[in-house]
Amino acid sequence: MRDKAFASYHPIILFVYFTVTVFITMFTMHPVLLGISFVGSIVFCGTLIGVKELFKSLAYSVPILIIIALTNPLFSHNGETILFFLNDNPVTAEAICYGVAIAVMIISMYYWFKCYHAVMTSDKFVFLFGRFLPKLALLLSMTLGFVPKLKKRYREINEAQKAMGIYTSKSYVDRIRSKVRVMSILLTWSLENSVDTADSMRARGYGLKGRSSYAIYRWHRQDTVMACIAFALSAGVIWLMFSGYGDYNFYPTLAKIDVSALAFTLYAGLFILMFLSTVIEIKENLLWRYLRSKI
Amino acid sequence: MDKRLITISQPITQAEPSHTDKDKSKPKKNIPWRTIITLAVYLVVIPIVIFIGVKLFADRKYNIISIAIALLACIPFFIGFEKGKAGARELVVIAVLTAISVLGRLIFAPIPGFKPVTAIAIITGIACGMQAGFMTGALSAIVSNIFYGQGPWTPFQMFVWGFIGLLAGLISLRGKRPNWILLIIIGIIGGVLFSMLMDIWTVINMDGTWNWSRYVVAITSSLPFMAVYAISNVVFLLLLTKPFLEKLNRLKTKYGIFDQA
Repeated sequence: MRDKAFASYHPIILFVYFTVTVFITMFTMHPVLLGISFVGSIVFCGTLIGVKELFKSLAYSVPILIIIALTNPLFSHNGETILFFLNDNPVTAEAICYGVAIAVMIISMYYWFKCYHAVMTSDKFVFLFGRFLPKLALLLSMTLGFVPKLKKRYREINEAQKAMGIYTSKSYVDRIRSKVRVMSILLTWSLENSVDTADSMRARGYGLKGRSSYAIYRWHRQDTVMACIAFALSAGVIWLMFSGYGDYNFYPTLAKIDVSALAFTLYAGLFILMFLSTVIEIKENLLWRYLRSKI
Repeated sequence: MDKRLITISQPITQAEPSHTDKDKSKPKKNIPWRTIITLAVYLVVIPIVIFIGVKLFADRKYNIISIAIALLACIPFFIGFEKGKAGARELVVIAVLTAISVLGRLIFAPIPGFKPVTAIAIITGIACGMQAGFMTGALSAIVSNIFYGQGPWTPFQMFVWGFIGLLAGLISLRGKRPNWILLIIIGIIGGVLFSMLMDIWTVINMDGTWNWSRYVVAITSSLPFMAVYAISNVVFLLLLTKPFLEKLNRLKTKYGIFDQA
């Protein structure tokens, strides 16, 4: 797997970055801001998962975008520019535009979460929440560890059951019954086993005061720099959005897009914020290729 | 036999005499604290968030507000669990049950919507109590979405599945198997509840506000899914309840876990 440059930042920064981008995307209905978020999320996702994978997922999400955009006029009859009547209900240009905006918002949210999925691995998540919810974080990390372990056991049991010739017919009822039987066996096996784990944990002093836990993530200088830049940008963007520069009305008629200096500052700020991750990713990749070419 | 061998099976708070000696009043104090936090979240924080939604966001940004509310609604339970008596053994049992329900979602992935998460949350609620039921349901949502991809729907799934597990623990006799008619009813209600609550999210996310006509369409278009949810819940409840309850009950008596409410 290729190393991801953006993922090397401290988990707190990554988490806050994604929270802010998703929050801004969900909050606004402004076409320019949504467009920036849309392109930003897709490009960043492309640098993370590769162009081929990106096109594969776009093949699903673009039809969804079109469907959402085209069905919105069925639910919303606001707007003044009536295109035609469908079952005595007006279909307006504004409602279609609003549908496009919603679809763009949903798709960009989807891609931001996809990026989050690629960058914020589960160990980072556990590390973040282990500080103020230690018991829950332990529960979460144990569960995450159990899933692949149980999957392996599930296969073993399944094969043994098949070899014994139980529920081997092709009918759906039998298939479901066999799987349920395997799940039940899995429970017996894992419960007894897990209590042993718990006793072993107790014997090693789990839950005693003053026990520290291993953490691989340190705060580096690049994190401080990144935190300052991202904080300044997002504070500025959120402040401008709350002062009304991020507002936009679709109904009754499409509003004009604000082109004042402050509005442009907002667009530029959001653009830098949303493409910061992509720039870091691409810069590090180019640097890596350049250094490798010198070897 | 050494006394320590017996204490090993007890929850941590009782097995540590030095701790209980130091702050004897703590177990008594704990309960009001949790009640205060729960009441504060439900009576103060959530109304404030709704107020912010109405005033500051001009009654438009229901999507953000609803996510905040779903997360906040889970917090009292998480804090209750964090401060509660659950020791290593309880923790590990919840982890296994959650892992099995997540795995069930992977095993039955070929049939869309056919997943045992609701059923396992209900069974855990019946066998191990409300808190364990809530934790299993909510945790299943987080963990399975780590494999399937997180999204704005995660807090809703957390709350809905957790809530179903909690309800099951609340209405049933501890560790007793409800008769099969009741199981069928619980399964159907669980499926319908899950589908309808998730459709609320769909509408809020699309319109920013509430839109009845879209909600009706969302429900009708998701009717097949609702049916699959309900059927899968019934199937899993009928097939899994007996073996799972037997095994959990046996474990509970053998190791003396989950005995307090």
